Amino acid sequence: MLRFLIRRTLGAAVILLIISALVFVLFYAAPRDPARIACGKVCTPETLALVKKNLGIDHPLPVQYWDWLKGLFVGRDYTSFGHCDAPCLGYSFQNREPVLSTILDRFPATISLALGSSVVFLVFGIGTGMLAAVKQGKALDKVASSASLIASSMQIYVVGVFATYLLVDQLHWLDRANYTPFTSDPVGWAQGLLVPWLVLSLIFTANYTRMTRSQMVESMSEDYVRTARAKGLSRRTVFFRFAWRGAMGPIITIFGLDLGTLLGGAIITEQTFSIQGLGRLSVKAVSTNDLPMLLGVVLVAAAAIVVFNIVVDAVYALIDPRVRLA
Amino acid sequence: MSTPFLSVRDLRVHFSTHDGVVKAVDGLSFDLEKGRTLGIVGESGSGKSVTNMAILGLHDPRNTTMDGEILLDGKELITAGERELEELRGNKMSMIFQDALASLSPYHTIGAQIAETYRKHTGASKKEARARAVEMLRRVGIPQPDIRVDDYPHQFSGGMRQRAMIAMALVCDPELLIADEPTTALDVTVQAQIMDLLKDLQQEFGTAIIFITHDLGVIADIADDVLVMYGGRCVEKGSKKEVLNTPEHPYTLGLLGSMPSLDGPVDVPLSPIPGAPPSLLNPPSGCRFHPRCSFAEQVPGGLCSTERPTLEITDGRGSACHLTPGQKRELFADHAPARTN
Amino acid sequence: MSLSRRNFVIATSVAAAGSTLLSACSSGNAGGSGSTPSDGATSYTGAKVTVGTKEDSTGPAPEIAGAKKGGTIYGLAPDDFSHLDPQRIYYAYNSTAALLLHRCLTGYKIDSTGHQKLVGDLATDTGTPSADNKTWTFTLKEGLKWEDGSELTVEDVRHGIERSWASFITEGANYVQSALTGKGGKWRDAYEGPYKGKHLDSIVTDKAKRTITFKLAEAKPDFNFTLAMHSYAAVSPKLDTKEKYDKKPAACGPYKIKAHTTDKSMVLTRNKYWDPATDSIRNAYPDGFEFDFGIETLDSTDRLIADQGKDQYAVSIYKGVPAERIQKVLTDPELKKRSFNGLLTGIYYYAINTKRVTDLKVRQALNHAWPLQQIRQIYGGPSAGDFATSILSPDVIGYKQYDAYGKLKTPQGDPAAAKKLLKEAGKEGMKIVYAYPQDPTYDKTKVVIENALKAAGFTPVIKAVDSTSYYDQIQQIDNSYDVMWFGWSPDWPTAYTVVQPLFDGGAIGNGMNNISQTNIPWINDGIKKNAVIADQAKAGEAWQALDERIMKEVAPIIPETFSRRYYVYGSKVGGAQFDPNFSATLLYKTFVKA
Repeated sequence: MLRFLIRRTLGAAVILLIISALVFVLFYAAPRDPARIACGKVCTPETLALVKKNLGIDHPLPVQYWDWLKGLFVGRDYTSFGHCDAPCLGYSFQNREPVLSTILDRFPATISLALGSSVVFLVFGIGTGMLAAVKQGKALDKVASSASLIASSMQIYVVGVFATYLLVDQLHWLDRANYTPFTSDPVGWAQGLLVPWLVLSLIFTANYTRMTRSQMVESMSEDYVRTARAKGLSRRTVFFRFAWRGAMGPIITIFGLDLGTLLGGAIITEQTFSIQGLGRLSVKAVSTNDLPMLLGVVLVAAAAIVVFNIVVDAVYALIDPRVRLA
Repeated sequence: MSTPFLSVRDLRVHFSTHDGVVKAVDGLSFDLEKGRTLGIVGESGSGKSVTNMAILGLHDPRNTTMDGEILLDGKELITAGERELEELRGNKMSMIFQDALASLSPYHTIGAQIAETYRKHTGASKKEARARAVEMLRRVGIPQPDIRVDDYPHQFSGGMRQRAMIAMALVCDPELLIADEPTTALDVTVQAQIMDLLKDLQQEFGTAIIFITHDLGVIADIADDVLVMYGGRCVEKGSKKEVLNTPEHPYTLGLLGSMPSLDGPVDVPLSPIPGAPPSLLNPPSGCRFHPRCSFAEQVPGGLCSTERPTLEITDGRGSACHLTPGQKRELFADHAPARTN
Repeated sequence: MSLSRRNFVIATSVAAAGSTLLSACSSGNAGGSGSTPSDGATSYTGAKVTVGTKEDSTGPAPEIAGAKKGGTIYGLAPDDFSHLDPQRIYYAYNSTAALLLHRCLTGYKIDSTGHQKLVGDLATDTGTPSADNKTWTFTLKEGLKWEDGSELTVEDVRHGIERSWASFITEGANYVQSALTGKGGKWRDAYEGPYKGKHLDSIVTDKAKRTITFKLAEAKPDFNFTLAMHSYAAVSPKLDTKEKYDKKPAACGPYKIKAHTTDKSMVLTRNKYWDPATDSIRNAYPDGFEFDFGIETLDSTDRLIADQGKDQYAVSIYKGVPAERIQKVLTDPELKKRSFNGLLTGIYYYAINTKRVTDLKVRQALNHAWPLQQIRQIYGGPSAGDFATSILSPDVIGYKQYDAYGKLKTPQGDPAAAKKLLKEAGKEGMKIVYAYPQDPTYDKTKVVIENALKAAGFTPVIKAVDSTSYYDQIQQIDNSYDVMWFGWSPDWPTAYTVVQPLFDGGAIGNGMNNISQTNIPWINDGIKKNAVIADQAKAGEAWQALDERIMKEVAPIIPETFSRRYYVYGSKVGGAQFDPNFSATLLYKTFVKA
């Protein structure tokens, strides 16, 4: 396992390096010059040159990339900001804030959104899926399948606004969506995120319901499940100890990847509910041609996905003794 | 005569499917005494496995209807509740399956799976159950059982795995063991070992064994009595010697004839039974074997296709065929007796 | 990338670009607040911007009926202020905060109907020009202090202007720098900035007499308007933290920054050293303000409509009600009571490339043909704004409505009149290339424009241009477009800031704004002449005459809309009114209702 982890971590580092280089190239391939955007309303050639210098983009691309890369490991010196400690992700073109601290500031909101909705969709999705598998063919199964299909076709920005209107403004059942850090007010944290959790988990729930159902149905027809019953184990034991064990693997795999994606920022959810997470940060970075911020956010999102890929593979090996880590 | 240990009376197992009702088992009866082995022979679709599953009550009640009677040591099983059946399964009656790799949970160690059965039925502690598992593994001939008890099924060889499954099935000293083609997937030498093992265990514990196979050679080795199934019905019954040496049904004759002989000429073509197994959805009328029977026209009045032959048992021997004993003696004459031990 | 994300990117860029044009820095505005939307023909009288007297400049600001001190007003906005350093402020939304923190020599005193007077803010009056308008002298009021209690002197006013030469300051306006150095766009070359101890010769300060004198290289009769821009606010050298000033500047206005978490929130509290007796412009009723950033406009509007809890004390700082909620605001009487609206400064129009469309009759035909009503319908109907028929907008001194091409009578376009002109010019079926920045709204308007052009006898060719590079493309003098979507907002309310950049022959060049490439001697002369008229009211009249003559005799543009914006506020907010200069809620007039 240790060798596996080391090897995969190195691979991950290479992937992230390639991604960062790609972002650099793509960024400069875009039509709009970031210096023009930061330049302001009246942009004479002299001002533009000054802006370029201030932003640090008056060097050729490879030099810029190298400086940025170096900054990650040994830090970087800026004329206006002084020394930036490693890992230095630079300063936003848009508001001259340090990228790393901005990302760290936004990350808890994204984590909260990701983890909270994960709990919701895992519980509801897997629970409903199991129910549907047990009551296969019956009315409950059909209802669950149709409901999940409808839910997965809904759009967050429609459901979100409607949910807020109904549950918050009209019925006053729930609080308006807002992010309060867990450390300062755990109850407020949960209350403010309840609506976004419910709405975000809608699409995922559907997936997990269907997946769980089909995995469980398949699992329950396995020979070893028949053996377990032949040994006199109760239906319930067989269902949860044996059938679920078989279904668990694929579900955990998918969940790991979903979680990785969620940790990169749920853009539409954050936008709909005005939550300051990584998703909105990445949208702003794109729309304001903010290269340092863009690189930072992309790397975080990519790292999350890559890391969870590794975690999922490792976990799979733990679950299924037959799997040898390649 | 004392009541037999296991008594199956007119068992019918029907499955309701989209296309209609499948009559997988259509009126099967047999008895089994403790310490004896019944070999059930038949091709796929004959209803052998369905019968076993019916005895253990493992069919899905949502689409299965069972009629008849299954008495295990006096207890009727078809009408028994799920709880009662769970008490009996793995405890009083056990089953081993053909594909040990698929039939054992890949996620749990062998030891855990054996211990699980033991703990369920005896309430033993983890330590006790583990010790028992080690003991069972030793009993079935697995070397270094105290180490291998923590291995996973995929870490065992085919033969070892089958032994482990036997160990699991026998951990609670069941009085009835149903073996569903346990040696089919194994090579001949391993097959022989497994069968020796079963015979030893039977000798030691007096277990009643139902041994299902399509391999007559295996039957010849291990069975005391033989039951031949075709199309969901019993077509011939009797002791091993009787059935294999003097078959009373065209199907049994065909089976025996299709076995290649080891000491005959090598270039003799195989003689399989012509035709295919019958549809259980729309079974042939009358005798289910008649479309494939080479002797069907010997029966006057086309009886074979119109009337179901009854199974007449005397002293445990009988067959379901319209041919008269005389006709059988004449027509089956060129059959050579199978090697029996 | 999903379509919705792409659209968002475009919308934001267009918005950002649009605000380049539509965010006035400091311009007066005629009758904006409180007026109801008109359905076509409204008659505007002249602009309601005048120059105030010394008395007008003397504080305190007039009391607002029913207002009491105390409480907190909450502000919602989707984005944080990008700059709080006054020299780096140019976009209007940044000025909404600046109004509470910073003060310039002059400023605009706004009454409850939206009338504006240019008055002295730090200065005792609106300044004294020399006879040739090349030298301007101001006297500083007494009792001016910074938030740390230190005195605000004329050297602070000078420092504010001099530090705009710093290399880290690139975003502010350029007017004063160009006027002082006479070097146009190359003003940076003339001076190295104040941080090494050197000062501009062209600014003379007398600390004892409290005077500051500006020696301009050219005559600027409206220089006192220019000085009202936040780009020229005062900064104390002692409190100047250079780059850090952008996040936490020192205040001399009624409020100071207590806390600022970038992109999250900002808290303002009273600046106890601000003396209301020195300020004729601002009231300061609330004890403080709390701003929340990152609230999407639809979300903040819904919150204000729902009016729950703290939102009852909230306003939208600078974002208007989005299209999705306009109908609700217009039709719900309860909501209407707590809303206001106003015209944005400036004008949306279509520039005609006179180098390619050389025939006046064709340009006049275009004016006749253009479907103003259908376009406005797409923008949202009459509530979206008023039809524009002139170059000057109602916020400019001297504005007068006239209708050279009968657009107010037939806003849906007059294809017959257009056809007639085309025939006279012998240009029936003429190809017209229309360019616009790609955006969902303009993708819709192009359809009605295309239809109208066809009906009028043109052969339209429609070119959707990528919005992020739109301005770069149309500002190339050799572009291949005949008609280009555009807009302009003056930086202060005199017509010079409109006519000169858009129609002066000297303003033709790559990256410049005379994209109609109008270069006509009498226009150039008219501009020069009007620029030196000292009396702004008289100047206004002259500019208006020039406006009308240009449209009638040259027709280099097709005016389209004076946009209108709506705002909603919480039920416990009093005094909320439209900021006619920056299109926002005028924060320093708000108070908390009991």
